[in-house]
Amino acid sequence: MATLIFWLLFLSFVGAFAAQVATRVRLIAAAPSTFTFDDIGFRVRRCLADVLFQRKTIVERPVAGLAHAFVFWGFLVFAGYTSVEFLYGLGLVDLTETTWFHAYRMVIVPFATAVLVGILYLLVRRAFVRPVGLGTHVSAESIVIALFIATLMVTYLLTFRFEERTLAWAVNWWVHMLVILAFLALIPASKHFHLVVSPITVFLKSPELGNLPNLDFEKEQVGLETLKDVGSKIVLDAFTCVECGRCQVNCPAWGAGKELNPKTIVLQTQGALLAGQKDKKLGEIYSEQVLWQCTTCGACENQCPVGIEHLPILIGSRRGLVSNGDAPDYLGAMYNNLERRSNIWGLGYDQRTKFVQSAELETFDPAKHDVLIWLGCAGSFDADFQKSLRSLFSILRAKQVRFGVLAKERCNGDPAKRTGNEYMYQELANGNIEDLTRAGVKKIVTSCPHCVKTIGADYAKFGYTVEIVHSSVFVEELTRGLAAPAPAGTHAGEGRVTYHDPCYLGRYAGKTDEPRALLTRFGAEISEPERNRENPYCCGAGGGLLFADKEEEPGSRISDVRFKQLQATGANTVVTACPFCSIMLKGAQASAGADTQFVDLMTYVDGKLRTIA
Amino acid sequence: MILVIAEQKDGRLNRASWETIAGAQQLDPSAITVLVPGASAASVAAELAAANVSEVVTVEHAALNPYTPDGYTAALQDAIAQLGPTHVLLPHTYQTRDFAPKLAARLDRAIVTDVTAIKKSPSTGSGQADVAFVRPMFQGKLTADVVPQGPPPHFVTFQIGAYRVDQVAKGSSSAPVRALTVNVDASQVRQNPEAPFQQAKAAVDLSQAERIVSVGRGIKEQANIKIAEDLARALGAELAASRPICDSGWLPMERQVGSSGQTVAPKLYLALGISGAIQHLVGMKGSNTIVAINKDPDAPIFEIADYGIVGDLFEIVPAMIEALKQ
Repeated sequence: MATLIFWLLFLSFVGAFAAQVATRVRLIAAAPSTFTFDDIGFRVRRCLADVLFQRKTIVERPVAGLAHAFVFWGFLVFAGYTSVEFLYGLGLVDLTETTWFHAYRMVIVPFATAVLVGILYLLVRRAFVRPVGLGTHVSAESIVIALFIATLMVTYLLTFRFEERTLAWAVNWWVHMLVILAFLALIPASKHFHLVVSPITVFLKSPELGNLPNLDFEKEQVGLETLKDVGSKIVLDAFTCVECGRCQVNCPAWGAGKELNPKTIVLQTQGALLAGQKDKKLGEIYSEQVLWQCTTCGACENQCPVGIEHLPILIGSRRGLVSNGDAPDYLGAMYNNLERRSNIWGLGYDQRTKFVQSAELETFDPAKHDVLIWLGCAGSFDADFQKSLRSLFSILRAKQVRFGVLAKERCNGDPAKRTGNEYMYQELANGNIEDLTRAGVKKIVTSCPHCVKTIGADYAKFGYTVEIVHSSVFVEELTRGLAAPAPAGTHAGEGRVTYHDPCYLGRYAGKTDEPRALLTRFGAEISEPERNRENPYCCGAGGGLLFADKEEEPGSRISDVRFKQLQATGANTVVTACPFCSIMLKGAQASAGADTQFVDLMTYVDGKLRTIA
Repeated sequence: MILVIAEQKDGRLNRASWETIAGAQQLDPSAITVLVPGASAASVAAELAAANVSEVVTVEHAALNPYTPDGYTAALQDAIAQLGPTHVLLPHTYQTRDFAPKLAARLDRAIVTDVTAIKKSPSTGSGQADVAFVRPMFQGKLTADVVPQGPPPHFVTFQIGAYRVDQVAKGSSSAPVRALTVNVDASQVRQNPEAPFQQAKAAVDLSQAERIVSVGRGIKEQANIKIAEDLARALGAELAASRPICDSGWLPMERQVGSSGQTVAPKLYLALGISGAIQHLVGMKGSNTIVAINKDPDAPIFEIADYGIVGDLFEIVPAMIEALKQ
């Protein structure tokens, strides 16, 4: 009789679970497939690190992350125990009296204790501490689930207290099993669905941060316009979100008080999918204004512990808007500049020529030169950044590096690509690829991290591959073995600097050690700002926002927020390694009326090299 | 006869109409008729009669007020039929861009738009082929000499600024003004415009300023803005600023020049203590003459400046004001 009742309960709860899962699987299957499987080795290693060893969960929030890891590892070791008890309850096979099961039960006791401690900590954190990333209201369902997990562990530990097959034992057993079944039925419609799907989502996440496949205009692809255009990975992401808010608290737009919250974007996708709004415009689901607030810094995507990719939905939606002529006015002006003059500022080409002549640069010739220096828009037209390039040239000349530049350059297309103007991006990219190929370029050095990402990773999607490194990486290797000069300063703290990692260098390219190695090699003492290395806080320039008017948006300027963080280090010198970070942060500094010094990394190194020589 | 179609709104003449009259006088000063369409054309006509033209014609009709492309096309079609000009000249305003192609197409006549100059070659005796109209092509990278073909009238629209207002030859006495009656079938007017949308306009329109004195962080403190104001007054210039000055609230946001402020193109841009960050430069690079005063000889502003003074603006500016007063 008990077995029959258990069977009925088992089938109805498992049925409820399966039906809800099926709804979600159907939505994923109905979406255009965007799953990728390249670099399997990397994906397996990442699954081990991020799922099994809970890397992303622990690194950013060590205490809560470890508590979560205890619960997760407990779940894994309990899988066998739960299976045996179900086989017993369903009357299929009774393994509960075997000696190995008795041993197994003893072994998992410490795990059960760890789960209990972990889940109670998380419960208190969620219900009473309430960190901002978890949202403004306490989710009742999360509390229920936490209590369920605690109950499972308590009822498990109680099995050691009761004589087997007594009434108390039986009640305890039934509570344990019913909680598991209820838990199962609650999973798919809640954020706890991540238990089931996050390993898959982490595996399917592109190895490349901000992976945006080219649009195929022959197939009339115009980007994401309505919910039905949204690809299968984005749909899977929407059901994987565990609402931890790491994307939110790391988002520079959210941090500066703007409306964009990457977590909200994912949850809005989920809500619209479940509501069947497949013809609803994405600009209405998310609000157009919010979509234009993203700097494409990649913090959300990079910090997500469950494999969600935010940039494809944010930039994909921008593509849809641009295709319909719905870009903000300031982008229209920038697109005009790109179209007419092939540079973001719309400056005359003679200015680049003037710089090339005055810096005595030669036109690249593979027979004469080892590397090509890619100037970029800033290097071609921004007199301020050209000072930094002159420093780079002086370092290269001192080390007998033979280098040349292209006779003509277009913008690499990054501002067009990240703002969703794919057509313009592809025009610029194809033109550059043709010029680079014709010039016989094998290795490029540039001081612009956006050029590194676009020419290095995005051009590969056209089948063009070239080695491109940031000047910090190249010069670090070049100056190895050089002794640090004795601190020239007479008083302490003179060598103190802070270094601002550009998102496209630290986060996208993962180059965080080389700039620091250069600084320390030449006598600097680095005061790290809040948010550094592979998780820096954006300067506010990315994603076309270099051109945005502050007045049009709520909150403060992202650059002002970042400048304050850098100021808080107490260092009076900020070292930058990206022309756009430099523009934004210097602007913030000027507005703040501060006397902070800005030095580009190459100028810093060149200055120190001169003192050695 | 050359017909110039002037543009006016609520009795206020669009100054580009004068430029078009100057263009017409270049083409053939002997027979020019100026046509003023729309309600309250009469007061504008009296103003235009000062020019050295044969006559000024006003066309008032219910279909012309408010402006609609259908109303203008129909009324002007009839007026042109009555007057029989060889050329119809218009200023290349937004309104002209709206109706002129339609009007030319309705009459099946050639139109040359956005013309910057007239080229007259020595007459070959073959009639009209001796006049070419110069217009920019490919975003201004090339210019083309266009010779309109086919029967008259030929339509030509002049780019704003192609001719100067002060080039207009004035007549010894006022030209006669007469009203012309046109037939317009009101049912042809398909548009029913709403009240014109007035964008919340910046109180200061720096983009129209001929001279600008712009201050940057080198001004040091708010009290010092006054010397820039004095210089601006002495020069008859508008006062503008770079971002930090407006961020600090020393000058209102609407006076900010740069990529997050206004884009300006004055004849003279005087930059006081502005280092010349690229975000500022892109807002003023179109200025005719840029004069920069800055302490730092390496300031990027000197890369773009036509005249640079390396020095203390607090010494230089008072000296400039003094010199201007003499």
